[in-house]
Amino acid sequence: MTRRIPALVVCVAAVIALVVPLFLPDLSFYIQMILAAVIVTGLSLFMGYAGQASLGHGAFVAVGALTVAVMTVRLGLPPLLALICAPILAAVFAYIVGLPLLRLRGHYLAFGTLALLLIVQAVIATVPFFGGGLGIFGVPPLGVGDAVISGQLPYVYLSLAVLALALLISRNVIRSRFGRGVRALAGSESAAASSGVPVLRTKLAVFALSAAFAGLAGGIMAFFTPYVSSESFPVATSIAYIIMAVIGGLGSLWGGVIGAVLVSLLVQVLNAVSNQPGLPATTGPVLQYGAYALVLILALLFIPKGIVPTIAQAMRRRRDRRADAAAPTDVAVEPWASVQG
Amino acid sequence: MLTVTSLSRAFGGVYATKDVSVTVPEGELRGVIGPNGAGKSTLFNLIGGHLRANAGSIEFGGARVDRLPVHRRARLGIAIVFQGARLFPEMSVLENVMVGANAATRAGAVAAALRLPSQRNEERGIRQRAFAALGRVGLAAWAERDAEALPLGQQRRLQVARALMGEPRLLLLDEPASGLRAAEREDLSELITELHREGMTIMLIEHDVSMVMRLADKITVLDLGEVIAEGTPAEIRRNQRVIDAYLGGEAAHADAE
Ligand SMILES: Nc1ncnc2c1ncn2[C@@H]1O[C@H](COP(=O)(O)OP(=O)(O)OP(=O)(O)O)[C@@H](O)[C@H]1O
Ligand SMILES: [Mg+2]
Repeated sequence: MTRRIPALVVCVAAVIALVVPLFLPDLSFYIQMILAAVIVTGLSLFMGYAGQASLGHGAFVAVGALTVAVMTVRLGLPPLLALICAPILAAVFAYIVGLPLLRLRGHYLAFGTLALLLIVQAVIATVPFFGGGLGIFGVPPLGVGDAVISGQLPYVYLSLAVLALALLISRNVIRSRFGRGVRALAGSESAAASSGVPVLRTKLAVFALSAAFAGLAGGIMAFFTPYVSSESFPVATSIAYIIMAVIGGLGSLWGGVIGAVLVSLLVQVLNAVSNQPGLPATTGPVLQYGAYALVLILALLFIPKGIVPTIAQAMRRRRDRRADAAAPTDVAVEPWASVQG
Repeated sequence: MLTVTSLSRAFGGVYATKDVSVTVPEGELRGVIGPNGAGKSTLFNLIGGHLRANAGSIEFGGARVDRLPVHRRARLGIAIVFQGARLFPEMSVLENVMVGANAATRAGAVAAALRLPSQRNEERGIRQRAFAALGRVGLAAWAERDAEALPLGQQRRLQVARALMGEPRLLLLDEPASGLRAAEREDLSELITELHREGMTIMLIEHDVSMVMRLADKITVLDLGEVIAEGTPAEIRRNQRVIDAYLGGEAAHADAE
């Protein structure tokens, strides 16, 4: 649901997000965290609001990244054009694969999307034009004509701008006729349909929108890295997106951002721990997977709705209780047909 | 307005609806009664498009609709209040009702993302109408609550308000009074009467036979998936087949009133 977060909190968070990168020596982690927030915001639209599942959202990140790599390196097209095409191609791709995929439900849909990611990985790995076994190196820096971005910082601010845009679009969409249709699907498809919501078409549109976010994030990643291969989009990362979405709170606008930040920070801390001298090389992955599992289980046990909705609900309960104290329910319920409509 | 011709639907070889033909003229309030499992809900689900017929046709407003998906029929003006409460639990009461307007409005995802002026106008209109609809069913004070938290009686009201938002020409009410207290039933009857007076075509499934007898212009009686009688309340009360199959004591009781 669209739960309003106080504007002050948002402003403070925005200032922190803008200032912090000025003091970090290396921004790779930071930019990955922001782009994860963009991806998870889209995923949360699809999973949280529409009540669907996608275990393979990395597929759309891959399409966006590949769009940029292929258009710039293979075809020599302008970088900006490539970046603009990244979300569009990702959305078109989602729409096309969604036509058969979104007829599936629940576990079948989850496995279907996972299979999609595996297929995309395999295609990238086997088709030389898409990188093959080597990958595509040397993506040029983003720029317009001769004005070219150098250094990491501009990419960070670009990513933050994209995140702001993603949040704005999500908010507008959720609070609209279309968005209500989307959220209705999660409650009851039959009731949504008889309220005039075209079920498949609506799912396809949200799927494509969330893929566009992922594709745009992937495109920026390709410029930043600047390298794309079949190994750039591991299944574990797609699982991590889901964990972020669940922990932050499916079906809440800010849940994706909160989840992405918390899980990214956790992974970063674990990386620091596992890089201590004297530990075996496998410590990192083991810690990371262990932490994913633990965090997910704890979250499902104690805050099944995720952080943001849990807090919002507590605040709402308090408000409702106050309202009840002021006006007993017997008075609140009027007879039917009391107002002539 | 509605012409159902030789409609049949079977579940695993057993007919839930068998060769049913019903014609409901514009503005009529048609009662549909029959024992449990008679196929009443199945008939509504076929008309609304939630089930596909094995045979037969459905004409609405002069055009065949039996091949159309549910949302297209909703846009043509067929609204349904389901037997069980099918709400959108994650949404507020107001938002639940606003969803109902989707059948009668058009702004899409792109207009919403860009917040085009036309879209914002439409939003305002939807919001106003939703408040009016909630007022009409007596739920205005609950607008901001979670739909999940509503007691059963209020959930029914909510479904009715949601259905009205689609500006239906045919309203299908599947046991809207079950589980309601006597006073709530009275309110519901009043609302139905009022909608009927305004010219809405209504089909009403109800086990409370005296309520149907009071409200309906004509009644269709189903048993084992087939129409066994059709006529005015007075005719139905006297129909021997209906009394044998279903009414029995209830008809006598209604007569005594
Ligand atoms: N989806 C379904 N799958 C299998 N059988 C079904 C299905 N829906 C209905 N039936 C069967 O069809 C028959 C008619 O059911 P229906 O729900 O239409 O009856 P009804 O007249 O609405 O009964 P009630 O008064 O109890 O609501 C019943 O025997 C029921 O078991
Ligand atoms: Mg029924």
